[in-house]
Parts: sequence; structure tokens; C-alpha cells
Amino acid sequence: MKGFLDSLADLKSQGHTLVGCFPLYPPLELLHSFGLTPVVLWGLRQDITRLTRSDRHLQPYACGVARCLSEFVLSQGGEFLDAIFMYNACDTLRNLPEILQSGLEQDGSSLPLFRLHIPAVPINPPSASNYLEDQIWELTKELKKFTGRSFSGPAFLNSTVLYNQQRMLIGELEHLAATGRLGFADCADIVLSAGRMPVSDHIALMEHTIRDAANRTPGEPAARIMLSGILPPPAALLDVMEQAGLMVVANDLAAMRRSYGYLPAASSDPGAYYEDLYSNHHPCTTILPSADRRLEHIMKTARENTVQGFIFVGEKFCEYEYFEIPIIAQMLAAEGVRTLELEIGIDDTLNLDAHRTRIEAFAEMLRQETGRSRRDKDAV
Amino acid sequence: MPSDHIQGGFRKNTSGKRLSTMIMNDYLDLHRRASEGAFVVWIAIIVPAELFSGFENVVYGVPESHAALCAGKGAGPVLCEKAEGFGYSTDLCSYARIDIGTAFDGGKDSPTFGLPRPDLIISNNNNCSLLVKWFDVYHRAWGVPHLVLDIPFCYENQKDRDFRYIMDQFGTLISTIEEMSGQRFDRDKARESVRLSSEAMKEWKRFLGFAAHRPSGITAFDSFVQMAPILTSRGTQRLVDHYRLLADETEEQVKNGIFPVPDEKYRLLWDNIAPWHQLRKMSGRLAGLGANITSASYTYCIGALEGEYDPYEFDGNDPLAWLARLQNFSVCPHGLNLRRKAMKEVIERNAIDGVVFASNRSCKVYSLMQMDQMRYIREELGIPCVMIDVDHADVRKYSEEAAFTRLEALLEMIDA
Ligand code: SF4
Ligand code: SF4
Repeated sequence: MKGFLDSLADLKSQGHTLVGCFPLYPPLELLHSFGLTPVVLWGLRQDITRLTRSDRHLQPYACGVARCLSEFVLSQGGEFLDAIFMYNACDTLRNLPEILQSGLEQDGSSLPLFRLHIPAVPINPPSASNYLEDQIWELTKELKKFTGRSFSGPAFLNSTVLYNQQRMLIGELEHLAATGRLGFADCADIVLSAGRMPVSDHIALMEHTIRDAANRTPGEPAARIMLSGILPPPAALLDVMEQAGLMVVANDLAAMRRSYGYLPAASSDPGAYYEDLYSNHHPCTTILPSADRRLEHIMKTARENTVQGFIFVGEKFCEYEYFEIPIIAQMLAAEGVRTLELEIGIDDTLNLDAHRTRIEAFAEMLRQETGRSRRDKDAV
Repeated sequence: MPSDHIQGGFRKNTSGKRLSTMIMNDYLDLHRRASEGAFVVWIAIIVPAELFSGFENVVYGVPESHAALCAGKGAGPVLCEKAEGFGYSTDLCSYARIDIGTAFDGGKDSPTFGLPRPDLIISNNNNCSLLVKWFDVYHRAWGVPHLVLDIPFCYENQKDRDFRYIMDQFGTLISTIEEMSGQRFDRDKARESVRLSSEAMKEWKRFLGFAAHRPSGITAFDSFVQMAPILTSRGTQRLVDHYRLLADETEEQVKNGIFPVPDEKYRLLWDNIAPWHQLRKMSGRLAGLGANITSASYTYCIGALEGEYDPYEFDGNDPLAWLARLQNFSVCPHGLNLRRKAMKEVIERNAIDGVVFASNRSCKVYSLMQMDQMRYIREELGIPCVMIDVDHADVRKYSEEAAFTRLEALLEMIDA
């Protein structure tokens, strides 16, 4: 599958107006309804091999997502993007817009910027929902100015239907991976490609893949694992997991399940739609009011999928994730689920040996435990 | 050298001694009232503590302030290690690690024996959202309710819409405490508390103003130490009295020719949280080089609106409105342009020769704008700058020699 930059080059040559959205959960439907093509600026690590521009603006302890995103916007944003969108997803991202704008200015270029503050409190009290709705309408005005098109309820409804279709198909794709009919690495690759192609193309790609994979024979894992983190680990590590007999039967990855796990009701009213989406969002450590639900959700998912091992792929310097992991590990341990914590730094795509060894040891431990529990059952 | 001054700062004068007593009493009082049944709230530093004065018997503890105190007293590493032992990453903010280490080990190794267990935890997300995650740790461990104030980040001055949104949330905060504690909120009492805070901030700014004198009447290290009661005694007459005394005493010293760095050659500005574990060492060593860090963004922002320096005065009307408007009184919730504006003003007011950007991996929100801020100060204002690595509370992540190599290079740049 094409990488990020090649995909964007194709889209540009096809005449798309590209809005580079900061992760994690931007209001894609709204941008789409104005005829724009939103692309989500994460998963760039394969394409961004050097951080020369970003290093002039960000210290090395910014997470890899932010550094790659910055490098891309500063070095190639002007070439590929027509605008940027950001919301208060996390402290690091909220610091970036002016840094990027000032970096672009230094090169004599600029990009229009759209911003949104998504309430970090439950959206049900009227003050938070009014606040969100106000901003959504203000954003529509800015988009109108930018595109020259008026907001259209039917167009928005159509976008919400499309994005919901995408969410459902991603669910099916992940299910195929969970039953061993599709490699998780391939599944992750396809899901992540959502961020760099028009939603309708992505739907077509998934329909095709699902048709192909549906009739394959389910696989038999040596151990069933759940993957958690912001991004899926590099493909090389997913290969190591697969070779070690670990099957990803569920995931709590921000770029996968957390992004697509909740299906809001399709609507022609963006205020109501985003209130629903962000209030009931699949739990994520960055959606602050969902944090309590997240713990329950992880436990429930682990139980329902008879997960034996939980692999946390920490994005180095992402504090949100690291605050929650001790309690998650504790709760899982109480239910007999083992946790392996990996940390992926910006340079780790090159040096994965240490991770490889730990994954193999973890798989071995899970295999032994599975063998032991089978023997115990046989003895009974 | 005058007997009441150590070279490089650190007043052994009346306000210095009064400060220690005041902080000690604040913590003792907090523990005592909590044990006598007061409703205990833990808050983030920006949460408007003045509102608690509107209740009969609500006391508050500030985990960030407690962590700073621990770091200043040398307990940072041992408490950080405890948190790390509980599974918390070394990359997390050292305030959080110190406080988690304290809270989960019953207050052992903390100079204040930690804080009394809360009935309610209140955080906000404009200084940083990780604070919400940090407070969530206690919420989960102890089942204590956690209320979050969602305060939008400021790329420009607070918008009307944001102001109204904050006011609504203050309403929720008050009704939550009323329901949980069974106490009624008295707006007049809160108004009086706000009046006192505003009064205290004027005195605070008067004290900081002596950094404009040549040689400077203060060091930023004085201001780091002296800011503590803003967090523990907010909205009280004793805070007003203390800062008045501090400003009066400083004025007197300046009149009498008593200066922390009498042979001051370099006037510097510090950008980031105080290096709590280095206050004495750093100020003393710099003074030996004729350098005085006279000003700090960490302390000059207090009491002012976004991008401003002068205190935002209370007009005597709605106390909630004053508090809501002042919800961004620290640097972290400010965008780059606001940070530049305030720093430019202080550089000009205080005739700053050089700026020290303390790059602090523990506090990304403060630090991840510094490279552009530094470029602006150096290139647009023509002021030499340097960046050093400092963790504000975890001394294990600080190298004095590496820092001083750069600081000395800064002084050379100024000389050049
Ligand atoms: S990885 Fe974490 S810190 Fe980095 S952009 Fe994502 S949420 Fe923010
Ligand atoms: S990250 Fe910075 S702003 Fe947040 S709690 Fe730590 S020191 Fe304070």
C-alpha cells in the first residue's frame, strides 16, 4: 500500500483540497461535508525519516507523533496541504499551532488554521454542550469562508452516513484479524490508511479486503492478546508477535478501535452529532471524561475475548497513556491477564531487537501458562 | 556584606522568617482542621481557592505546591522513586511522581506528612491536562469524586464565550461542594477573599518591581520561595500582610543599598518552573559570577491577565467574574504570542541582558514553545539566550556542570 506522502501526492494531483488534521479525533465529517478531504497526520513515521525541521522547533522529549507531524507540516505542508485543523487533543498538540505557523512564516509560507476546543468535561450539562455547539457553528462559518460553500444539512448527513459505514467496516476488518483470517499487520495498515485517503476510497478498499478474507480458514493462536497504545507498533514487531503465535483478538489503539469504536447516529445537525460523538466516544485516555469508562471497557473487552495477555505499546513521552497503565495492569492482573509494556520512541523503528526479545519471552510465558491450564483441565 | 543577606538572595530578614512560619502553620492548620472534620478539597494551583472561603468549613491542599516543597527540601528523588516503584514512568512530571509517591506511602518522607485525604478533588486542564490524569489516579485509588474545570487554552486573550463557560463551571463547582459538604456558599465571604487576593497581588507585583532597580533589589529565587503562600494562604489577610511586609522590607533594603548581588554585572530572566532542588546552589554560584536572575516568567505571570504584567485588579463586584477572568494567571495556558508579549515587557521593564530557557522535560507544556520563544527573543529583541536542561523537581535529571557551562557561555555572549 502507498505511503503517506505518495498518497497525498496522488490526492493533490487529483485536485483534492487537503486539510491536514492533527490527531486524534478531528471532526472529519464536517470537513468532508464542505467538499474538503481531511487527512489525519499520524502514522507518518515510515515516511518521515529525518526530523531536521522539527528539531529546530521542538525538544526531543516531544512524542514521536508530534515530531513527525511537525516535520511534515514544516517541510512539506505547504506543498501538500491547503489548511490545518487542530483541537485540544493533548498538551503537546495544543502547543503546536503557533510553533508551526511561525516555522512556516520563517519560510515565507503560511497555512490557514482551524481550531476547536472540545470540552474536557462530560458534555451533558448544557454549558458544555452549548459551548461545543457554538464552536462547531463558528467552525462552519470559517469553513464557508474558506471553501466558498455554505453549510448543507443534507451534505453533512451524507458525510455522517459515509463515516459510519467506514466505522462499521473497520469493525469487520478487526474481527477478521481477531479470528486469524487477516493478519493484524495488514489490518492495521488498512485501518491507518483511512487517514490518507478519501473516505469513499477507503470504504471500497475495505469492502474488497473483507470479501477476500471472509472465506479464509480461521487461525488457531497460541495465545490471545489485546494491544493498547496510540498507534499500532511497527510492522516488524507485529510480525514478531505473529511468529510467536500471539493473535491480536482485540485492540485499544487510539488509531484503530478508539477512533472507530463508537457509531454516532447519522444526523444533519453537526452540533447534535458532535455532542453525541464526543460524549459517547469510545473511551480514550485523551478524552478526559471517558477515563473511568475506559477501565471498565478494557476489562470487559478482555473478558469477552478471553484475552490472556495485554501488550501496551507506549508512545514515548505520551503522559496520558502512562498515567493510566499502572492501574490497568493491576486490574488485569487481578483477572489473570498478563501485561507487557513496550515503549516505542522515535528511533525505535530502527532498533527493535530489545522489543523482539521481550515479546518472544512474553509469548513463551503465555504459552506455558496455556499449556499448564490445559494440563490442569485434563487432570480434572 | 550585610548580615541579613546571603550572596545571591535568600533573605534571612523578617519576611523570610515569617514565610517559614506561615507555610508551616498553613500545613499544620490544614491537617488539624481536616482531622476535626473540615471538608477537604485537593486542587490544582489555578483552581480558584478563594471560593472555599465562601464556605464555613472547607480547607484545601495543593498537590503541586506540596511537591515543590518536597523538592525544595531534598525529598524529590526518594518520593519519585516510590512512584516509579508503583509503576509510574520516569518520564511523567516530577511533581506528579513526588505527590503519588507521597500519597501512596502514607505521607512518609514528606516534610508535611503529605496532605490529609480529600473529600473532593478538583483539577483543571489549562495548565496541563496531565494534571487531570494525575488527579484521576487518586480518584480511582480512593474512590474520591474528581471534578474537572475545563478551561480553554489561550492563543489570544480570553474570549467572552470562554469566560461564560468558565462562569458556568464555577456554578457547578459551588453546587457540588454545597451538596457534598452540606454547607452553604456565601458570596460575600468569597468577595472579601477575592478582594484580599487582589490586594495581595498588588503587593506581590510591588515586590517583583524591585527587579527593575540597578542593581536589582531581588533575585528570581526570592520570588520562587516567596510564591508558596499564594498557593496555601490565598485570599487571606495574612497573605496581604506578608506581601506588604516583603515589599516594604525590600524597598527599605534598596534604599539602604542592600542588594542580593551587589556587584551585579548581568541581569538575567528565567523561563520555566523554579529549579526547586537548586535554589541555593544556583543563585550562589551565579552571584559569584556577578550574575543575577532577577526575573522569572514563572512568578511574573501571577496575578496578571494573559500576556500582561500588571495585576488585574478586583473591581469589588462579582468575585466569580474576577476569578473566571483570571483563570489563566500562569504561563502554561498561554500561546506563543502571549508568552512573547509578556516576556518582552519584562525584558524592557527590568533591563534584562540575557534569558535562560530552562528546558524541562517534566513540564512539556511550559517547555515545548521555548525554541521559538528563544528565537524571537534573540533575533527580534537582540537579547542573548541560552537553553539548559533542568527538571524542576527531580534532581536526578539535572547536571549542574552541563547547566553552568551553558550559563557561562551566556555571560560571555552578553559580554561580547
Ligand atoms: S502520542 Fe500522546 S502526547 Fe503525542 S500527540 Fe498523541 S496524545 Fe499527544
Ligand atoms: S506538567 Fe507542568 S503544568 Fe503540569 S503539573 Fe507538571 S509542572 Fe505543572
